[in-house]
Amino acid sequence: MFEKILIANRGEIAVRVLRACKEMGIPTVAVFSEVDRRALHTRYADEAYCIGPPPARESYLVIDKIIEVAKASGAKAIHPGYGFLAENPLFADRCEKEKIKLIGPSAYAMRTMGSKTLARKTVQAAGVPVVPGTVDPISSEEEVFRVAREIGFPVMLKATAGGGGKGLRLVREEGELRSSLRMAKSEAKSAFSDDSVYIEKYIENPRHVEIQILGDQHGNYVHLCERECSIQRRHQKVIEESPSVIIAPEVRAAMGKVAIEAARAVKYEGAGTCEFLVDRKRNFFFLEMNTRLQVEHPVTEMVTGIDIVKEQIRVAAGEKLSIRQEDVSQTGHAIECRVYAEDPEKNFIPCPGTVTSLRIPGGPGVRDDSGMYAGFEIPIYYDPIISKLVAWGKDRTEAIARMKRALAEYVVTGVKTTIPFHIRVMNNRHFVAGDFDTNFIDKVFFKEEEARELEHGEVALVAAAIQVHAEERKHAVAQKPGEAGGPVSMWKYSTRPGIRKIG
Amino acid sequence: MNYVATVGEREVKVTVEVLGGSNYKVTLDGREVVVDAHQVANHLWSVLYGYASLEVDVTPVPGDAFEVLINGDCHKFALMNEQRRAMIRAGGKGAAGKAMVTSPMPGKVVKLLVSEGEEVKVDQGVIVVEAMKMENELKSAIAGKVKEIFVAEGEVVESGAKLLLVE
Repeated sequence: MFEKILIANRGEIAVRVLRACKEMGIPTVAVFSEVDRRALHTRYADEAYCIGPPPARESYLVIDKIIEVAKASGAKAIHPGYGFLAENPLFADRCEKEKIKLIGPSAYAMRTMGSKTLARKTVQAAGVPVVPGTVDPISSEEEVFRVAREIGFPVMLKATAGGGGKGLRLVREEGELRSSLRMAKSEAKSAFSDDSVYIEKYIENPRHVEIQILGDQHGNYVHLCERECSIQRRHQKVIEESPSVIIAPEVRAAMGKVAIEAARAVKYEGAGTCEFLVDRKRNFFFLEMNTRLQVEHPVTEMVTGIDIVKEQIRVAAGEKLSIRQEDVSQTGHAIECRVYAEDPEKNFIPCPGTVTSLRIPGGPGVRDDSGMYAGFEIPIYYDPIISKLVAWGKDRTEAIARMKRALAEYVVTGVKTTIPFHIRVMNNRHFVAGDFDTNFIDKVFFKEEEARELEHGEVALVAAAIQVHAEERKHAVAQKPGEAGGPVSMWKYSTRPGIRKIG
Repeated sequence: MNYVATVGEREVKVTVEVLGGSNYKVTLDGREVVVDAHQVANHLWSVLYGYASLEVDVTPVPGDAFEVLINGDCHKFALMNEQRRAMIRAGGKGAAGKAMVTSPMPGKVVKLLVSEGEEVKVDQGVIVVEAMKMENELKSAIAGKVKEIFVAEGEVVESGAKLLLVE
């Protein structure tokens, strides 16, 4: 086993990996940017090294700095988490050259699956069903028009190097194609420094179902069943669950089988995920393979009892998978809600700031994977995900009830979060019935929400009036002569830098 | 103290009186309720309403308005004391025909889409502010001319910072 592991990430996922290392008794090394000195992962690791200024491209994305810290600290392996360098084949190449084990697949597997067109070719050859479209990136505008006409509208434009919903454009008719192409290219350019795009037939009202796989260096593979991730806002997953209500045992087995074939085609090592679109007739089409740990991996862990991060680490150390396919089954049901520092009342605008108070839910069947604490300032520089709340129940009904209960317990003040949004989804009749597709949130849910009557309107008024009243009273007290020197205003006075006396 | 709340089209007269401890007597259009409201954190209240125990998050937003969260439901209304309301009524609408574009969050100005003197339409994107890896295009609320730009590309801005003025 590794003597020491470096975690080349931040936030909740760095903490998640640190937890696995701690449980395995492996010493840990954190890296942090100047703005993350007080971040949880920096505090939580055994060692921590500053790697530069706040912008990720000057810190978390700088391969040289990560490698330098690995050498200085004596870390023999690097866990990249998700995002940042997790799917960067140049980083994988460099680790190999420096004889530091990257906990993840080979650079070859990353390159193949990272290029969506190459991935399509490869998995198609392995017998995996794919969505109709181009196989090669398209550079010229004429070519885009020709292919779009050939496969028929609606079509999807996708960044070749894309992910996370960026560089993605739905084009319903030919008239929209030119401007959509321009936007997709410019988004792709700024997000991935690569403006090549490809084109795919758009599957109407699909569900997004993905298969988690694990592979070792000895050619053994297992799949850990499916996760359904159809609850998306603007093509970004926000709620995931396992099992999926639409996947029958035989479909699960078939999807698992092709996911393993896709992994085998690139000699995949570690944890990976094959994403599929499922149409109304329950046909499934390969979408892409993510060559890293997924954000939503906890739902799989909750129903299978398998610690995916520990398996990743063991496999990277050369051990054989500790499980065989027949050992894998889903027990009960798990749901994950991604908690973002965003304001659901203002079109989910990012809402960085200081967490002034925090109450984390607990009790049976609840797991909170978070990177924040009370007093932590959520920086403006990184992804707005601050926590993942997971609820497990003996069935979906109990899991939903438990999630509702846990969300109601979750209190974050100082920054706006998506917790209220999740409460409303858990209460939505379509969600409860399992009746949704990837367009549900944007097309159905928000409309239904607008029409809904709110509860406790009177309490809301009363509470606001009391708060205004309390503030007016405080203000009035402070303004009275003779009381201006009370403890509150003195405190403010003494901390105002301009008038502080330096003794 | 007397307040006026505006909920949609409806106006509600509200009075608040401290009874001692965390108890308050509140009237809503003359109807009296006694509540136990304990402030557990800034803007966060534990409210006993009758015997119903509720967590209530009261966020003030510009324009004497409030967003109040209870069980995931967000209640939006305006509320202010009577004197303030009288003052605002007397002052009239003020600077009609001007619209300040402000940053709704802390972030970085990525791109100015207009320059000073340029004509803009309603809902036209005028500036792009990046926060947490997402680029947010901010729009002009009115049609008019860009009177002044207060920031430069690359500048880091606070929440509520003045970005540009359309007239």
